[in-house]
Amino acid sequence: MIEAKINGKAANTNRFDSVTNEERLHGFRNILALYINFAGKSFQQQLAYKFEYFIGVFNGLLFIFIFTSLWQAIFESSPVAGTTGFTLQKITAYAIFAMIIRISMTQDDVSTIAKIRSGAISMDMIKPMNYFTMLLAECLGQTLFHWATRVFPIFMVCLLAFEISIPSSPWLWTMFSVVWLLGYMLQFMLNFIFAMIAFWTVETFSFKLMKYGLFTIFSGGIIPIDFFPEWLMPFINILPFQYILYLPTSIIIGHISGDMAINMIAIQFCWVIGMGFMCWKMWTSGSRKLVVQGG
Amino acid sequence: MNAKQADKTVIKVDNLRREFKVAEAKEGILGSFLNLFSRKERIVKAVDGITFDIGIGEFVGYVGENGAGKSTTIKMLTGILTPTNGSVEVAGIIPYENRIENAFNIGVVFGQRTQLWWDLPARDSFDLLRAIYRLPQERYERNFRELTEALDLSKLLTVPVRKLSLGQRMRCDLAASMLHNPKILFLDEPTIGLDLIAKDAVRKFLKFINHTRDVTIILTTHDMEDIEALCERIIIIDEGTIAYDGSTEKLKQDHIHTKILEVEFHDYNPELENLPMLEVIKSEANKKWLRYNLDGTSMHDIISTLFRDYCVKDLSIHEPKVSDVIKAIYKNGGMERASVND
Repeated sequence: MIEAKINGKAANTNRFDSVTNEERLHGFRNILALYINFAGKSFQQQLAYKFEYFIGVFNGLLFIFIFTSLWQAIFESSPVAGTTGFTLQKITAYAIFAMIIRISMTQDDVSTIAKIRSGAISMDMIKPMNYFTMLLAECLGQTLFHWATRVFPIFMVCLLAFEISIPSSPWLWTMFSVVWLLGYMLQFMLNFIFAMIAFWTVETFSFKLMKYGLFTIFSGGIIPIDFFPEWLMPFINILPFQYILYLPTSIIIGHISGDMAINMIAIQFCWVIGMGFMCWKMWTSGSRKLVVQGG
Repeated sequence: MNAKQADKTVIKVDNLRREFKVAEAKEGILGSFLNLFSRKERIVKAVDGITFDIGIGEFVGYVGENGAGKSTTIKMLTGILTPTNGSVEVAGIIPYENRIENAFNIGVVFGQRTQLWWDLPARDSFDLLRAIYRLPQERYERNFRELTEALDLSKLLTVPVRKLSLGQRMRCDLAASMLHNPKILFLDEPTIGLDLIAKDAVRKFLKFINHTRDVTIILTTHDMEDIEALCERIIIIDEGTIAYDGSTEKLKQDHIHTKILEVEFHDYNPELENLPMLEVIKSEANKKWLRYNLDGTSMHDIISTLFRDYCVKDLSIHEPKVSDVIKAIYKNGGMERASVND
């Protein structure tokens, strides 16, 4: 009977032939379609956790109210602005935008670590795809979701609650878009590099804590870089963190502009290239070290 | 079955080795403190020089104890792991040098993991896989239809994967691994944790695709029933080296010299003085389990003596199982090594 089955199928056996390279869909459009598909599915996955975005909006607003009140109290009791050029109005705008931009860049920085630790990363490695770009596409999908469910509502509330002026110059918005995108890439690659450490050691928690600490302080997310003491500046300047939050926030509130802005964007761009290279290096050598549990 | 193609090799493994460095931790609190400063590293040979060829359409069982080197071999064949030494070739491609090109040719199912997106319905995962494997739409739809039918998935496709039972998920995973028409399918414990019906469904499907699509299948499992039901060839790996490579049938013939008789008597449990060649393994109420050697007395003599001299109510003969054979091979291997060490 089995023989008959085989013979019966043999007539059209070529339809089971594996897909040849020529048959596969090629070209930029199909690659783009793949990544859009990834981003879309990742967006869709977020819908599974409905409660999270209400909490997200609440948390974001809470932090904005805490920081703006704090700055108000500080500026009322003593004129700390000094040579930084910050007025109370400007620092309030800074606190609001820094938090909104921070939320707009929120990324999942645990799933890769978890995958490496559990060995589930092997399920990604058996597929014909690049893990880095796939993860980036997924991240962008999540970000799009965050824009719709957190960034937009928080921004709307802030427009009503505070007196903030939104720049109208299209040139400024273009510059901001570029800086935001480069900052987003830096954030993504920073997470990626720290996740790669899991290939070498299981003790990733302390590294994560270190990343979180360095980022919180030196990205300018809470206090603008201008307020740090002079002796710390060389240290801050050799780190990439300020290009993630401080730069886009300063550009949108008009704190940094002109040649200064162009200079900083150039450095930011260099960081993207450099960290991109580091990601590639760490992935190739890290995945070679992969020891998957289970013999 | 695929005699005409059996000579076409699809997997070539030659003297393959993989070593791991394992840090030897010292015991106790003081030990773990000392570990911070000095670590002794020990080299573990997970795979220690294995060689085999696999032909197109073969269904091979790859068997070994935990830590014998099975998964390490599979990982080198799928391109996840780089060998320390030796060579691998899968469908003409060196997997670890060209992981992505190799990935187009293979399908992989790890029983303890899933390649589906956890929060999405399987249908969406399939759609993503279509894009990843860059399948032409028409080819995808045909495969999708056939696999959905063969695995009876129609009701499962719209449920988020995390809500599926293990058996249902495994069926979806099998479909996912076959969507892109792989030449070779690697299965790592596909029936682990499944109930009998689900196991049966998986086995039926594997037989089906092996026959109709000429897919070469490498199956790693601890379930010897899988092997007996599916694999014509078996490769046994023990401590990183090949202990046996040949047909499953021949393995049984070569290594099994005994059978078990289960005899139930009427109302009593006699001493079998007339049958000294039978070894009593177990005796319970009026039942006896007896082992006899195939090389000794003929079956005919034993049975006729039993029925002539004793009141036999019921009798059954137990065929040896592949698992018994493999246990014997592990044991012997272990003993040989022990004597070498002495």
